[in-house]
Amino acid sequence: MKAIFAFGLLILIAFLGSQFFFKRKKTYLPLSYFFFSGIVYVFLGLVLGEKGLNVLSSEVLTGLNPLISLGLGWIGFLFGFQLEFRYIRKFPRKYISLSFLQSLFLVVLVSASLFLLLKVLFPAQPDFLLYGLAVSLGLFVSLNSPSLLNFASPLIPSKGDYYHLARFLVSVSGFWGVGGMAVISSFWHYPFFEGSVVLKGLIILFASLVFPVFIGYLFHFLTLKKTSEQDLLVYLLGLVFFTSGVAAYFNLPALFVCMVLGMTYSNLTRIQDKLYPLLLSTEKPFYIIFLILIGALWDFSFDYKIAALVVLILVLRIIGYTLPLRSFEKILRFSFPLPPLFGLCFLSSGGIAIAFIVSWKLIYRLPLTDIFVSVALVATVVGELLSPWVLKETILRLSPEK
Amino acid sequence: MNIIVLAVVFILMFILKGSLLAPYANPEFSPTVALGFILIFAFLVGKRINRLNLPQITGFILAGVFCGPYVMKFLTVEDVHNLQLLDGLALSLIALTAGGEMRLTQLKRDWKAISSILFFQTAIIIAGFIVFGLLGRSLFPFLLEKTLVQGFALSLLLGTLATATSPSTTIAVITELNARGKYTDLILSTAVVKDFVVICLFAFSLSAARAVTLPEQAFDAWFLVNILEEVGVSVLLGACIGGGIVLFLKFINRETAIFILGIAFLTYQISRSLGYHPLLICLVAGFMVENFSSRGDSLIQAIEKVSVPIYVVFFTISGATLNLEALRSTWILALVLVILRAVLKFSGTYVGAKITKQEEGIQKKSWAGFISQAGVALGMVVIIEETFPEWGGAFKALVLAFIAINQIIGPVLLQRLLVKVGEAGKKGNQENGARL
Repeated sequence: MKAIFAFGLLILIAFLGSQFFFKRKKTYLPLSYFFFSGIVYVFLGLVLGEKGLNVLSSEVLTGLNPLISLGLGWIGFLFGFQLEFRYIRKFPRKYISLSFLQSLFLVVLVSASLFLLLKVLFPAQPDFLLYGLAVSLGLFVSLNSPSLLNFASPLIPSKGDYYHLARFLVSVSGFWGVGGMAVISSFWHYPFFEGSVVLKGLIILFASLVFPVFIGYLFHFLTLKKTSEQDLLVYLLGLVFFTSGVAAYFNLPALFVCMVLGMTYSNLTRIQDKLYPLLLSTEKPFYIIFLILIGALWDFSFDYKIAALVVLILVLRIIGYTLPLRSFEKILRFSFPLPPLFGLCFLSSGGIAIAFIVSWKLIYRLPLTDIFVSVALVATVVGELLSPWVLKETILRLSPEK
Repeated sequence: MNIIVLAVVFILMFILKGSLLAPYANPEFSPTVALGFILIFAFLVGKRINRLNLPQITGFILAGVFCGPYVMKFLTVEDVHNLQLLDGLALSLIALTAGGEMRLTQLKRDWKAISSILFFQTAIIIAGFIVFGLLGRSLFPFLLEKTLVQGFALSLLLGTLATATSPSTTIAVITELNARGKYTDLILSTAVVKDFVVICLFAFSLSAARAVTLPEQAFDAWFLVNILEEVGVSVLLGACIGGGIVLFLKFINRETAIFILGIAFLTYQISRSLGYHPLLICLVAGFMVENFSSRGDSLIQAIEKVSVPIYVVFFTISGATLNLEALRSTWILALVLVILRAVLKFSGTYVGAKITKQEEGIQKKSWAGFISQAGVALGMVVIIEETFPEWGGAFKALVLAFIAINQIIGPVLLQRLLVKVGEAGKKGNQENGARL
């Protein structure tokens, strides 16, 4: 009964939230981005969760499991659906290479540094666990959100090379991070860590790729003929539920699996124009419900270890995005300079990062899982508070964009 | 192409739920897989069934039966229980739709016919079941070794259950067919009003049965006062919620679908936990919006925008809950009761319509619209089993089998009727957008 109450309450909050917080503002006020991004709902979830009012107790959250995996699947699908090859091909190839190099550099830098710190902070934990955690946090740092750039777009009257490059990078960076997570979770598959890791990992990775591609084809076949909006909604809900459910059922990353589903369908179908409005109209309420549930799932704790990890992540994030840009510019022979300042456009991690955290939490029920969630969520919140100010300064100083 | 997808999804689910992959599965997420599967599978089965000129909801119900805990076991009893989270939502939406479809002018016009059909159906069915129960006492395992008075009270309970018609199924079939007309209005209004009458009658029959079969219990006449209070408060709450929806549609009118979803869900759960009638509340709310504002169409459109997936899950789950074990053990007696009920439904409808001088078609054909049974009747059986543990199990097994047959043939009969009398598709095709 309580789960049902909670569900109704979530729907109402989602509705009210989408009415008030997600309205676009014409003026750029950095603090208002915090509300626009929806992060405030994570705190609302925290208040409603076990550590607060206990409306969303652990029992209720278990009852709402389908919603959590649907939320993950929905975000994954939406993200993958935007990765349409026809569209991506319009950008120079060096943009894709830059995106990959940027992510790779960040993952290596953050993973290596964090592993050392984790080893100092948690000496009793086995190395393989700390490796996994460090790499996962590295992947998390490599994720970006396009919503801050959308929010800031009124600040940029003439949208030149920097703007388009930044938009491209924030839109596709998630692919590497989420893909990396699929690799990690395949070769480090919970709860069976022992045994022939490589073969098993390859099989799981293969399944994580083939299954959503297969479902994507089914979806395409279902919508080959003229499909009404209601039919489309049933197919979409059913297949995303099914795919994310199957992923969660076998401890695969639902976010990745549904991203591949979205990519497959997006590149097969010709009804993107019909599906986009449907996805966008359902996105906000789903997202709000999802954020609240994450807040409720969050076993909030904050101590010097978490603070140290968050500070290191923020510092490494800034270094990782700014420092290697000149080198990448030379390696990839960019036609315009890439000043380190440009890297400060990428400090916001947004919804995809939060989905990444939840996906990780659902797969791994390990001793350090709650530490991972707390570090990642606190880093996200701090990032979402700082990034609008930093972006404003960056845009104002990159003179060609003025 | 759809049939191939249907087969592929089925095979996939067969493999996923098979013993080969079971050791690697996390059962916590079984309801999520089940939900996705039934949305696709039942919807496609509904579409196939529709090609055979049968209602889609029959397809959803059959898909539920097939995939449920008694046949393929794709949905376990636990999955079904977990997914009933959507029941309240679906029922509230259905009641809101029903209220939104009832027009004051039409109710005033048909009031005599509705009350007459209602009265004679109820009286004749209850009388018929009492007579049958008393004459054929040896056929019913729960009537053996009971006194005549006890047999009377138990037959009264059975008769009350037999009177019920499922408004949710009626509305779903009408929505699917886009039906409008005299038959549609009469059947829908009678089914909805009857739901409420049956609840009152059930409270009375239960008190009577309790008094004669449980020696420590006396007949509790206060139930009437309680019912009046519940009804009064429910109507009042419904009017308030309806007023709220009207204000919303007038002054905000954005993201209406999600607002209606939230309202429907909260109304259902809060009213149930307080002991009021959520269906009556939502019905009155819908009725208010339709008849006391110019926003009735907006409400129906908003509901229909989101209702299809919810209906698919609702009717599939209701199919999965149909107890085939019970049907297997008591199907002959259940079938006899189904036939008896149909005959009595015909007689009651015929007499009620004849007395109010309805046209001949309504007198002879409209009984077919009152056969389906689901939610309310199922809820009553559960209460009976809990109240009378000694014989409630045997009673439940028979009634579940009886409901299962009625719920499978009911939608088909209603659809055939509405098509035959030419009311299918009369609502104006794209007026309301969504179709089941």
